[in-house]
Formats: sequence, structure tokens, C-alpha cells
Amino acid sequence: MTGRERILARVARATAGREGLPHPGPLDVPPADDPAAAFVKRFTSSGGEVVEPDPGRPAGAWLTAFLEGLDPAVAGVAIGPEVPPERRPRLPEVAAAHAGAGVSAAWGAAADSGSLILPSTGGRAVQLLPPVHVVWVPEGRVFARLEDALAELRKLDEDLPAAVGLHSGPSKSADIGQTVVTGVHGPGRCIAVMG
Amino acid sequence: MNVALFVTCLADHYFADAAADTVRLLRHLGCTVSFPEAQTCCGQPAYNAGRQGEALRMARHTIGVFEDADAVVVPSGSCATMVKKFYPRLTGGTATLADRTFELGEFIVHRLGVTELGDGLAGRRIAIHQGCHALRELRLESEPATLLEGCGAEIVPWEAHDECCGFGGLFSVKMTAVSAAMADRKLDTLPEIDWVVSGDGGCVLQLDGRSRAREMGVEFVHLATALWRGAAAPGGAR
Amino acid sequence: MPTGIRDYPARAREIIRKDPLVRESVTGATIAFDEKRRRSYAEIDAEAWRRWAEGVKNHTLTHLDRYLTEAEARLEANGAEVHWAEDAAEAREIVMELAQRHSVRDVVKGKSMLTEEIDLNPALERARIDVLETDLGEFILQLFNEPPSHILGPAIHKSLQQVRNLFTEVLRTDSDADPDTLAQAAREALSDVFIRADMGITGANFLVAETGTVALIENEGNIRLATSLPRVHVAIVGIEKLLPRMTDLAGFLQLTARAATGQPIGCFVSLIQGPALHPEDDGPEEVHVILVDNGRTDVLAHEHAWEALRCLRCGACLNVCPVYRQTGGHAYGYVYSGPIGSVLDPGLLGLHEAMPLPFASSLCGACFDACPVRIPIPELLLEWRREAQEAGLTPWKERAALAGLAGMATRPGLYRAAGKLGSRLAGTGMARSLPMLGAWAEDRALPKPSRRTFRELWRAGIE
Ligand code: SF4
Repeated sequence: MTGRERILARVARATAGREGLPHPGPLDVPPADDPAAAFVKRFTSSGGEVVEPDPGRPAGAWLTAFLEGLDPAVAGVAIGPEVPPERRPRLPEVAAAHAGAGVSAAWGAAADSGSLILPSTGGRAVQLLPPVHVVWVPEGRVFARLEDALAELRKLDEDLPAAVGLHSGPSKSADIGQTVVTGVHGPGRCIAVMG
Repeated sequence: MNVALFVTCLADHYFADAAADTVRLLRHLGCTVSFPEAQTCCGQPAYNAGRQGEALRMARHTIGVFEDADAVVVPSGSCATMVKKFYPRLTGGTATLADRTFELGEFIVHRLGVTELGDGLAGRRIAIHQGCHALRELRLESEPATLLEGCGAEIVPWEAHDECCGFGGLFSVKMTAVSAAMADRKLDTLPEIDWVVSGDGGCVLQLDGRSRAREMGVEFVHLATALWRGAAAPGGAR
Repeated sequence: MPTGIRDYPARAREIIRKDPLVRESVTGATIAFDEKRRRSYAEIDAEAWRRWAEGVKNHTLTHLDRYLTEAEARLEANGAEVHWAEDAAEAREIVMELAQRHSVRDVVKGKSMLTEEIDLNPALERARIDVLETDLGEFILQLFNEPPSHILGPAIHKSLQQVRNLFTEVLRTDSDADPDTLAQAAREALSDVFIRADMGITGANFLVAETGTVALIENEGNIRLATSLPRVHVAIVGIEKLLPRMTDLAGFLQLTARAATGQPIGCFVSLIQGPALHPEDDGPEEVHVILVDNGRTDVLAHEHAWEALRCLRCGACLNVCPVYRQTGGHAYGYVYSGPIGSVLDPGLLGLHEAMPLPFASSLCGACFDACPVRIPIPELLLEWRREAQEAGLTPWKERAALAGLAGMATRPGLYRAAGKLGSRLAGTGMARSLPMLGAWAEDRALPKPSRRTFRELWRAGIE
């Protein structure tokens, strides 16, 4: 017998005399009426930032100006492969480790937990290494509940990305004297662009 | 109403006056009080130590003693919990005594429906120590405050009001340093008050013992005594 | 692995007496955590969420073999490699073998209690592999060379000043640096380690059977980095971490965060199905999942204690525990401390090894009210006490005293006489030489017996 078989046999023996209990089904919390608004509220209360692009300007140009207007101004960016061409800032592209900001595209967002849902196909280093992470949230992709978003992801089945990150605010820690500090490892600013 | 008093070991020996005040209070509220003399210990020390066999023997004895009582009143949240929550576990659910037993405050508020006893505590500032068993097993939270306020007392908020005092029976002698530190946390957060009131003798032994060792001069009063004093002034139900 | 559990009472006393800063830091931090937890529970129908979570875990644990094999098959289909470790030594060997296979020199770690349980770091270090804890709290403790004191906030027993002093010495920060500056120094010290490292090692909060998803919750981003940048990711997962469905994660991710820190969800969650797929730009080439038993099947087989396997390691029971708050985790002598440690350790290690932890509780019940998966910790403590008594693991004097009490309590006449004598004696100087009262009197004034017992008052007539 292998270790695997021995463990599984012990598990089977341990639970043999015990009644198999049923799965209670979905948690099914009542969904928010306006998911987009609920997302903004939750995400910002966790320290995330939300901006809306200027509808009068091309998205790429707007983002370029936005990044240049940050403090400190972003000179070089890392851009995830899934960001559509018209949404890319016109700034020099550099490696994520040296970029002032990472720009990526979310697969969607969840309102109740206030999470951006980021597939690994969107570029992990882009999402994690730069001090500022700017995320395009496509229109109509805010799910009322994380549960709904995960159900949708689940449907991808074989096509599920190798990894999915949920980002629900900037990196933080309270490990030093219980004081909250931001930007410990991951991005210190996490900015969702809606629309 | 006929009620039988289950005095409990600690009240019998260390809080005899509070037990007597329980009798006075119940009579004052129109109850006929009996005291079955064969009663002993509820068995909680054995139960908490993991001596279930012995606890069951004591439970059976107590169940027998109160077999004919319509209602049993216990001036201790912890011993009331033993009867109401742990006897059914020990006996496999057959202890009907559980349904006939009441912690003192619970009995007055919920069984007698009384919340205004008098105004004998007018002007008195009181912090309430909520005993763990009454609070988290019996879910009796507001009763002591309701009754004390009903006697005119001012309940002073205490950040550690619902934290354990560190008694825990055997725990207090097995883990004595931790137990004392737990009492210190309570004592060190006490606001300006006249009395600390508790419905549990065990908690008072612990907190008072620690307070006296540290010469803090805090005055601890059993709930029964506080309520009897509260009912004592003119204008009350008395 | 030898533990220091046996010395709990002495070590607890020593911490309380000699290191009062620990009590202060731990009490302050846990109260703050607990308040956040309470507020966060109040925002949701916490009772319904807790019952749901309890139900899902109970279902999973009563069908565990099915879900383990399902997860394994799914992970393999996703391109991950699954390993099984019966005990700590096997788990270590698997990691060492993987490290050798990939000529690993630098390992970055995410916070994982299981890697503490299996004593992984010393094994790696013996093989001259550089192991770096990247969670800020764990990083601090690695510098202090101390084990975690809390399953969630490993360094909560350290004050700001202690961290300042350490950082001044090691990282050359100013002696009055604020937490931001200190964190910045840590960030710089750790800045390129993720890029340099060959292997990232993490635990797992959950493993979803139907998708083979390893789920990890954190706030700093170090786990996302450790699972994204190195070539190899190794997740070390206790076999109790299974969840049936992807959608189950929604409730569990949120409830865990609410219970742990009062957040709606951790700032970062990693959901890892396997190694990077083409055409991804980055991500690990290999993902290994090590499923570890190390005593868990013993716990699962126990009639009552199996319920402790629902534990999410959120730390809520530690935060609310008045016993834990006095000492922090080090007093307990094992990686799992506080209420959950006191019921889990006897199951994982054997009751004999875990004595006297089941007695390190006043049974106040606060832990049960806080626990997101409703583990009946007070009842389990009582169950372990019962077994300890049956196995003769408690002092004989104590057993004799309790047997004596029962003997008297069923004979009212004897009980009355002995009770009176006992309480009178307790009020005298003789008390200090009585075994239990002696211990009482070390820290407390002796109780004052009433002048007359209630029985005497009753007989005399109460006016
Ligand atoms: S026992 Fe419950 S409260 Fe304690 S760590 Fe585990 S899940 Fe959290």
C-alpha cells in the first residue's frame, strides 16, 4: 500500500460509522439591487479607489493623462496582455518590476466582497509588482455576489485560468504594533476604472 | 407560587446572607419558599473536571430532591446552568428538572414578570459582572441590569463586563497565575462605582479574593442582596 | 516532534510575571481584532452564515475520501502534481526532494501554520537552502528567531518598540521610526526576493475538489507574489481543507475574513488551479500540492473531536479568549494555541502529549460564540477532560477529592457536616497547607465563610 492508499483507507475507516451529512446548498445571501454602486462602496471602504474615465476622450488618452497626473507621476508602465489596444496608455512600456504602474483588465468584479477578479492570463507581474495597479473593469461585469461570479467562472471549466486573483484593496498589514500600513508587498494603490 | 430554593454550596457557606435575601425577596414577591434539606452540590465541580460518572450521581440526587417542586430558584447562574443545560446532557435528556429551574434574575423577570422592585438603589453606581454561564449558556444578558435599574441604580458601563473573571472552579487552582491575571484584567478596567454586582458566588470569591490580595477595596455584592436592598425602600413593591 | 505543552502552567506563570509586555500587547491586539470581528458579524446574518459554513464542512468531512480523490484527479488534469504525506517527516521529505529536483537555493514562504507544524524551515536550512518568511509578521519573527504566537497575527505579542529595536539593529532604521518606515524597510529587504527565489512554499486555506483550486487568503500580497513569480509553487495542505464546490468559496472566503480581522474579504485571494498555461507571460512552471495527514485522520476518527477539523484557522477563538489573552501563544508549547489548540492538539498529538491543555480553560464559552464554523470548543474540552480522567492522566489527589465530593453529595448528612468543617477550615491559616486552597491563596485572599451557614439561618427562621 502507498501512503496515499493508507491515508484514504484511514479516512474511509474514520468516517465509516458516521452518518453522511448533506451539503446545505448555496449560501444565497440577498443580492444588492445596484451591483455597480455596491461594488464601489465596498471596494472604496477597503481602501481601493474608483475612477470613471472621461467619456469625452479616447480611453487610452484619458488613462495616459490620468497616470501622468498621479503623485508621483507615472513614467513607465507595465500593461497586461488582455488590455484592449484602445485602452492602453501611451506611455513607455517597461518591465513590471520597474514600472510606476501596472495596467490590467479584470475578468469581472464582485459587489458584496468588493473584489476585482483578475485572471492570470492578464499578467501576474503586472498585477502585483508595480506600486500602483490600475484595473479596467468592463461594463456590465460587476456581479452582485462573489458566489455568482464564481459560478460563472466555474462554467469555464477546462478553460479556467491557471490562477485567479481577487484584489479587494491595496496591500496592507497590521503586523507592526497593530498599526495598519499599506503597500507592504503588493501594490499600495489599487484603482478600478469603471466602464 | 410555590418555589423551592436550591441554595448551592457556595451560597450556603460563603453567601449565606445573600441566600437569605433570596428567600426574603421571593417571599416579598408573593412566593412561598421551601428549602428541601437533603439538597447538596449540583455536581458542577465533577462535571467540569471530566468526572461525568460522579457528576451524574450528584445530578440524580439533586433531581430526586426537587422531584416535587413546581419551580426551583437558584441564586447562581452557574449552578442554574448545570441543572438546565448540563443535566440533560448527562442524563440523556430525561431531566425535566431543567425546565422547572430558574436563575434568580431570570425567575423574577420572566416567570414573575416583575422588573420594578423599588427604589432602594437610587443614586447607587453599579457595575455588573456577567457570569459566563448565565450569559452564554442561558443567554441571560439584560436581566440583572433591568432589575437593578428597576431599583433606581445607575449601571455604569464596564468594558470587561462580559469577560470571564477567571474562576472556572478547578481552573482557578490548576492555572492559578492565568486565573489571577484574568481577574486583574477585570479589576483594572473597573470604572468609578459603588458596587460590583454579580449573580454568581464563584465569580465574587475570585474577584473579591484578588481585589483583597491587592488591597483594592472594591465592594462586591451578590445580586440577591442588591435586589433585596433595592426593594427595601419606600415606594417599592414592598 | 517534542512539544513544550507539559509546562503550560509554569510557562504561563513566567510570561505573566516576568514579561508583562506580552500580556499587554496580546490583550490589546486581541481585543482590537475581536471588536472588528463583532462589528463585521453584525453586518451580516452571522448566525445563518455560521450554520451554513458548519453544514458545508460537516458534509465535506463526512465524505472526505470522495472529495480528496476528486481534488487529486482535477489537480492532475490541470497539470499540477499531487503528493500524499502521512506524517511530518514524509511531508518534509517530499519538499526536500522537490527542492533537490529543481536545484532550489532560495525559497520564499507565505504564512502557513502547517509548515510550522511539520517543522519545515529547519529542514530546509539544514540543506543550505535560504528560506525567507515573507509575511511581515513572520518575517519579524524569523528575525527574532521565535515561533508564531497567534495563528493569524504571528507577532501580536511584540510591541512597536520591540520591533523598532530589532529593525534598528538588523535593518539600520532610526530608533524612533514609525510603522510605515519600518514596513518600508522590510519591503526593501524583501524587494527582489520573489524574483530571485526558485520556489514559493505556501499552505492553503481551502482546496476545492471540483476544480482543484488551492485558495489562499492574505492582506499583504506576498502570497500572490510567492505563488506567481518563482518557477515552482509548493502548497502544503492539510487533508481537512477540502471544500466541494467553487461556489462554496464565496461564503468561506468572506466568513473567514470577517471572523479573522473583520474585513469583508482578504485584500488578496489567490485561486490556483495549476501551473501557468500557454500562452501566459508568467507564473510557475510547476505546481505541487502536498496533502498532509499528520494526525488528522486520528482526529477524524474520534467520536467528538472530528468537529475540530472544521477549523478555518481564523484565530477568532484566540482573540476572544480571556485565557489566551494573558499569555499569548508561546505558553501553550505548540503551534496551535488558545481554545482551538486545546481541543485540536490532543487529537493531533495524542491526549497524553497534550496534557494539561484541555484544562487550560475556564469554560467561559466565548470561543464558541465567535467561531465561524461553530466548533463546540467548550464541549470538546469537557470530552478531553473526561478521557483524561478515565486514562488516569490527572493528579490522583484531584480525582480523590472529586470522588469524595460525589460520595458526600449523595449523603446529605455527611455533606452538611463536611461542608461546614471545610469552609471553616478554609477561613483559617490552615487553609494554605490544603492542596487546592494553597494554590488559591498564592494569588488571592482566602474566601471569608459566612458567620452562619444558610442552613443554620433557615432553621433559625428567616425574617
Ligand atoms: S476554532 Fe473556530 S474560531 Fe478558532 S481558529 Fe478555528 S475556525 Fe477560527
